[in-house]
Amino acid sequence: MSHFYVIRRRGADALKMAIAIFFLLPLFFTALVSLRPETEPVTNGNIFFGSEITLENYRRAFIIAPWGLHYLNSIIFVGGTLLVQLFTVTFAAYAFARMRFFGRNFLLMAILLQLMIPSGVLLVQNFRTINILGLFDTRIALMIPYWGSAFGVLLLRQTFREIPIELEEAARIDGANLLQVVRHVYVMNAIPAYLAFALVSVSSHWNEFLWPFIITRSEEIRPLTVGLNKLIKTTDQGAFYGQLMAGTLIVIAPLVILFIVFQRQFVESFARSGIR
Amino acid sequence: MARDALHRPPRKSLLSLLQPYILVAPTLILVLMFNVAPAFRTINDSLHKPARGLGAAGKPPEFVALGNFQDLFDDEHYMGKRFLRTLRNTIVFALATVGIGVPLGLLTALLLNRPQPLLGVWRFAVFYPSLLPLIGAASIWSFIFSDSIGLANAILKTFGHPGLNWLGDRNLVLLSVIIINIWKQAGYFMIFFLAGLQNIPRDIYESASLDGAGPAQQFAYLTLPLLRRTLLFVAVISFTFAFQTVEQLQALGEGGPADSANLLLYLIFQNISERRNWGYVNAMTIVLIGVVLSFTLSNFLLFERDETDR
Repeated sequence: MSHFYVIRRRGADALKMAIAIFFLLPLFFTALVSLRPETEPVTNGNIFFGSEITLENYRRAFIIAPWGLHYLNSIIFVGGTLLVQLFTVTFAAYAFARMRFFGRNFLLMAILLQLMIPSGVLLVQNFRTINILGLFDTRIALMIPYWGSAFGVLLLRQTFREIPIELEEAARIDGANLLQVVRHVYVMNAIPAYLAFALVSVSSHWNEFLWPFIITRSEEIRPLTVGLNKLIKTTDQGAFYGQLMAGTLIVIAPLVILFIVFQRQFVESFARSGIR
Repeated sequence: MARDALHRPPRKSLLSLLQPYILVAPTLILVLMFNVAPAFRTINDSLHKPARGLGAAGKPPEFVALGNFQDLFDDEHYMGKRFLRTLRNTIVFALATVGIGVPLGLLTALLLNRPQPLLGVWRFAVFYPSLLPLIGAASIWSFIFSDSIGLANAILKTFGHPGLNWLGDRNLVLLSVIIINIWKQAGYFMIFFLAGLQNIPRDIYESASLDGAGPAQQFAYLTLPLLRRTLLFVAVISFTFAFQTVEQLQALGEGGPADSANLLLYLIFQNISERRNWGYVNAMTIVLIGVVLSFTLSNFLLFERDETDR
């Protein structure tokens, strides 16, 4: 029995190793290729390192796209989206969790329609709406479709409902007004839920490509993913994979680092995001 | 009783009556503007041919009923040919993601469910791809699959195989796109299975092994039935997500050659600014909405209702 157990454990370890290699190999080689001289592709002799370790690819990636600017744009896009979301989501979640009003369930269902018809598939009409509003090629255009979040409303409504109503009553007796109640009773007692929402929101918008690509034209406001696209299109013509991998790493590094720091929170947040 | 007193101030001012609506309004208006209204406009525009010419001088859009859809499902039509091939690809892509990606997610969850050394590293290895931008993931794989200097062919060559044209051969491109998507998504699926496995009490396994049930039997008769809901949930979301996952094509040959790996939303994206195709683009969006809506709705009815009613 114990002999069998050891074999089984070894088998599981081998399987685990194989799966981990499949998942990690691409990242590993991205890093390697970005540090090799462009003239020495991996098929030339030594598969791991070239004749030298060089940052030349990074320098060239920086000539093609202004990554600093794209970073700033991504941060503004993601931060601006999240900031407004925090307000809209909190107010709606409080109303749906703790207030009674005519049409409450109907309005909640209307908001939940967002989960069933995600704005990603409505590219065509939303593109037109932005043009009609005269917002084409503005930062607002990037963010505005995401300012309302049904996922956030649902997540926080659930969290708010679990906060004892006695806390709100006590605050009211102490003379707190609505905004104070929301801020001190509800927001303060729902920080983990806010963190979960923020991680999901930030990581999904950081990665967004099609919408920013369609809705902007000026490099001054375009996020990292659109910069990466430019690098991809430049690389297409000559297969400069070194600089492409360098650029890719520049784009993905912050999320990978953020994940290493917040691993547990990420895993827990994403487990709640199936309804996104 | 207490709750009623709380929300019924002594004198009902208009402001306090309107309060909940004011709080809900921003979200509601945004959802109406960017989700509900555009969905209805899509229906309307899918039933019309676009206006010719601009402004007052041009003809108004012509109502063609289901004409656009007829064209799309006509293999002889220039757009129908592209649409049908793309729709087929999208279904294959979605089914493959569910059929391979979901079991892989379950397998990794089973392997990583018990305490073990370096658990954080293992979890990182499987999960980090799902945090990457699709276009970045695709860019990484465009190197791995590249014809002359790619890693995949370098590995094949060490086994004496001449190598494959992963992104140029029309029979292989869709497969490459599927492999990338599975690599990208399996870690995300794993998370749901890990959560599901956490909810299974340990002691039922203990009593099962006392009764002489081996690991295979425990998996087949305990784990799988108890994970049924999670499995169904993950299968449904992965299928729906597959219909919205197209940005990788931007770095993988743009759906070509000859649409052999094109996907529905990407075909829509490619034609978004071509005026003459406006009706088709909207009709295609209707098909896309139909699929996504029916799956998210069934998902919602099956699972979310318990959560929201709780």
